[in-house]
Amino acid sequence: MSGLPTEQAKAATRAPLGLYVHVPFCASTCDFCAFYQTQPTAVGVGRFLDGIAQEAALVDWSEPVTTVFWGGGTPGLLAPRDLARLAATVRARCGGAPQEWTVELAPASVTEARLAALKEAGVTRASMGVQSFQPALLEALGRAHSREQIYRAYDRVRAAEFASVNLDLMFALPGQTEAEWAADVREAVALAPDHLSTYCLTFEEDTALWVKLSQGRVKLDPEHEARLYESTWAQLATAGYAQYEVSNFAHPGHACLHNLNTWRMHEWVGLGPSAASQHAGWRGANVADLDQWLARIGRGERVTEDRVALTSALRAEDALIFGLRMNAGVDLSAWRPRCPEAPWTAVEALLDRLAGDGLAQRDGGWVRLTDRGRLLADSVGSEVMAAFSTEAFVA
Amino acid sequence: MPAKLTRNFCIIAHVDHGKTTLSDRILEHTNTVAMRVMTDQHLDSMDLEKERGITIKSHPVTMTYPAKDGKIYKLNLMDTPGHVDFSYEVSRSLAACEGAVLLIDAAQGVEAQTVANAHLAFAQKLKVIPVINKIDLPSANLELCLKQLEDILTIPAEEAILASGKAGIGIEDILEAVVLRVPPPRWTEYPQARALVFDSLYDSYRGVIAYVRMFSGTIKAGDMMMLMSTGQRSEVKEVGVFMPKMTKIASLGAGDVGYIVSNVKDTSEIKTGDTITLAHKPATEMLPGYKEVRPMVFCGLYPVDTSDYEKLKAALGRLRLNDAAFVYSSESSVALGFGFRCGFLGLLHMEIIQERIRREHDVDIISTYPSVVYHVIKHGGVQIEVDNPVNLPDPGEIVEIREPTIKAAIHIPNDAMGDIMALVMEKRGTVDHTDTLDAARVMLTCILPLNEILVDFNDRLKSITHGYGSMDYELGEYRTSDLVKMEILVNNDPVDAFASIVHRDKAEGKGRALCEKLAEIIPPQMFKVAIQAAIGGKIIARDNVKEMRKDVTAKCYGGDISRKRKLLDKQKEGKKKMKQFGRVSIPSDAFIKVLKTN
Ligand SMILES: Nc1nc2c(ncn2[C@@H]2O[C@H](COP(=O)(O)OP(=O)(O)OP(=O)(O)O)[C@@H](O)[C@H]2O)c(=O)[nH]1
Ligand code: SF4
Ligand SMILES: [Mg+2]
Repeated sequence: MSGLPTEQAKAATRAPLGLYVHVPFCASTCDFCAFYQTQPTAVGVGRFLDGIAQEAALVDWSEPVTTVFWGGGTPGLLAPRDLARLAATVRARCGGAPQEWTVELAPASVTEARLAALKEAGVTRASMGVQSFQPALLEALGRAHSREQIYRAYDRVRAAEFASVNLDLMFALPGQTEAEWAADVREAVALAPDHLSTYCLTFEEDTALWVKLSQGRVKLDPEHEARLYESTWAQLATAGYAQYEVSNFAHPGHACLHNLNTWRMHEWVGLGPSAASQHAGWRGANVADLDQWLARIGRGERVTEDRVALTSALRAEDALIFGLRMNAGVDLSAWRPRCPEAPWTAVEALLDRLAGDGLAQRDGGWVRLTDRGRLLADSVGSEVMAAFSTEAFVA
Repeated sequence: MPAKLTRNFCIIAHVDHGKTTLSDRILEHTNTVAMRVMTDQHLDSMDLEKERGITIKSHPVTMTYPAKDGKIYKLNLMDTPGHVDFSYEVSRSLAACEGAVLLIDAAQGVEAQTVANAHLAFAQKLKVIPVINKIDLPSANLELCLKQLEDILTIPAEEAILASGKAGIGIEDILEAVVLRVPPPRWTEYPQARALVFDSLYDSYRGVIAYVRMFSGTIKAGDMMMLMSTGQRSEVKEVGVFMPKMTKIASLGAGDVGYIVSNVKDTSEIKTGDTITLAHKPATEMLPGYKEVRPMVFCGLYPVDTSDYEKLKAALGRLRLNDAAFVYSSESSVALGFGFRCGFLGLLHMEIIQERIRREHDVDIISTYPSVVYHVIKHGGVQIEVDNPVNLPDPGEIVEIREPTIKAAIHIPNDAMGDIMALVMEKRGTVDHTDTLDAARVMLTCILPLNEILVDFNDRLKSITHGYGSMDYELGEYRTSDLVKMEILVNNDPVDAFASIVHRDKAEGKGRALCEKLAEIIPPQMFKVAIQAAIGGKIIARDNVKEMRKDVTAKCYGGDISRKRKLLDKQKEGKKKMKQFGRVSIPSDAFIKVLKTN
């Protein structure tokens, strides 16, 4: 850490606290998208920015923020002036520069003026939703950008010299062959980003793609998806990107701290419509509607949806479920003393079984999934849940 | 209305020849059901019947009909099922009638259940009115149907009425024939009240409701009735008729078909086929009941959730009341815990009952592999009956095993003869004799082992004959056979619920088919699972359940944690619905699925 500026060095020693801001505006809606977003209007953006400031004032900031993530929607769609305003609200809660500050960008709206505003604000990490380099597939996804725009945007982002740059890619798109996907990965690698996220297309309810699936116009093929996962992992390993989570790869030192802290069940504050929080003893989300969110913030209410108390057992359970998605796995020896009442016997039995089936590896107090196990992380997760709901424990 | 203006008749036919559709037209013609509430296949009131388009239960309905002779008649109609598994329902309906309208699908001609049901009607001395139905079909062959009527059923062709339930042709002719040809109610002069219980139903508010045909006397609310088989007395709470909904009336008189609600609350107290009389002036002779039907196929039914045992027991009691052909007794299984051994008339019957338990009684159940009843002769000459492979004694104790056979009447077009003979051979059967039905069709009388025809015989028959073959059967004799117990091992553990008794020569093929099918039905597992078939510890077939390859959500942001938990929770609950065999989860409907050939 000797290379870090002093403020960041200080931040690194504190208990991590994330700050997520959901910017709910997109130019158009992608077919696979299940995030809350709406068309931006001058009035809407203004009210949103006011709301964020108001909501931030409602939070108990006893700890300073260590990582920031602006997601959406498309935060990179805001005007430079608005980006600066949002940044000011955020910076006030950080007690200095955060360790990491990510902003999601869409290729079609990356301009030098916006990048300058972000850079000026202190953003350290740019994450761009490329999804694919193939025009036909971009079209099939309902993505509003071209191949040329991707290249132009990437050059601009690089020119702005952020500490870290990520590209998002998607695979298992309808009609996409293994060769086409390998070409997409190659093309992304050729740009030499610091970080790559490769997401298998997920059919989320209430999306245009889901409709196609339920009408039988596209089909799910888990075998094909499994092959794509495996080939991606191999291809990126060869290219020098280390996998650290199911869908995430990075050059050394470029893993996304904000996400890592989330998966390790640390705390974060979510601001904006639909943003989730895990903070001050509670987990939950804001309502996924700009007007309703504003109305509730006006009444001093936040984290109103799916609100549950953050018990140590829930944390331990989720630290396993989400931690096992990471290549490093989970440090059980750290969780046991924090939650002695959890049904560890059942958990141990499960982990031993998984190890016996070649799905997990145990290494001292640590447990991690093998490649095959990581491809089954949801099944593993539901078994972890089952272990945590053993009668003796629940009663 | 005097009994002489009443006519009781049922509609009988081979499956799908249009009984229920014709009943619709009759209901409309007699204004029994107002047009605005009329639905297709109206009398098929159970959800299952509507979904599958088949009749499972007989449905009675009372109508009034102003005949051409100027008199107003009361007509009691019963729509009956056509499938061979439900022929018992037909016999019970026939016992409550004096006449039967026999439908023949004009495009299909006489089929196996046409003959079987016609013979049931003749045996009960009913007047049979032949109707050639579906004459609207372009493929209708009237000439052939009329000839078959004379040749196969020995009914004069002049008696036939041409009709179409769909197009509404011939409805009035049929009603006139019922009035003119069906005799008025019989045995009305008997000095005491007698009513035949031909069905019953359990209602959670009113208890047991008996469906009756009154033969003599009257019964009304307030009367003290008596069940003749047990002498049990009970106060009548309400009587009524089917319009087709149950409709309360003042009293039931001679010739009427209706229902009786009494104090009887327990499903085991009333038996279909019993005679109800009045306690203060009881009849001395019971009405002719029905011969007890013997279930032919047995399987174990177990609650998926063991705490549902009592609920399942209550469900079985109620279904039994509504279906006298169904029997059950308690048993237990190593793999499945406490449950019931249940007997059915055939596989469709078995499937329907299971479905009704799931839906109408909301109990999730798992069934074992079906079995017929074997006679096992042990050393020392002791004979035991085995309807559950688990109870088959050690091979060392057995002298011989006898299996039930059926005598089947198989109607087929001439050109299918070779293929059907081969099918019968394959199923270890013999063709006893061959009768020519007409220029294009023959009837084979075959002896077949019952356990061979259970699964796919009928489907194969249909596909070989392009839908023109049909079969009727009755239980035949027991015969000695080289039978062995085949075990199924899941992940190396034998699962008693999956064991079956098979012919030695067929064991390997059946074992392979069963393993393959199970491997396909069991959802992919996280680890390697072998399915094996074994005889006396020797593995004769094996297959592997698919290994799960990919089950992972791509994206997990902070906001996705609660959502993701819901997803995993659903997955976990889904698993709970399955039965756990060691580490393997098997869906509870696996066995019904195994039996279904594509
Ligand atoms: N063309 C034509 N089709 C008919 C006629 N009557 C019935 N059908 C069709 O034949 C099929 C069977 O009709 P149902 O009335 O359910 O036959 P069913 O005899 O009651 O059948 P089960 O109760 O299962 O034995 C349905 O698809 C009807 O639409 C008819 O007169 N003409
Ligand atoms: S840009 Fe992102 S948030 Fe906006 S619609 Fe597309 S996927 Fe959804
Ligand atoms: Mg019917």
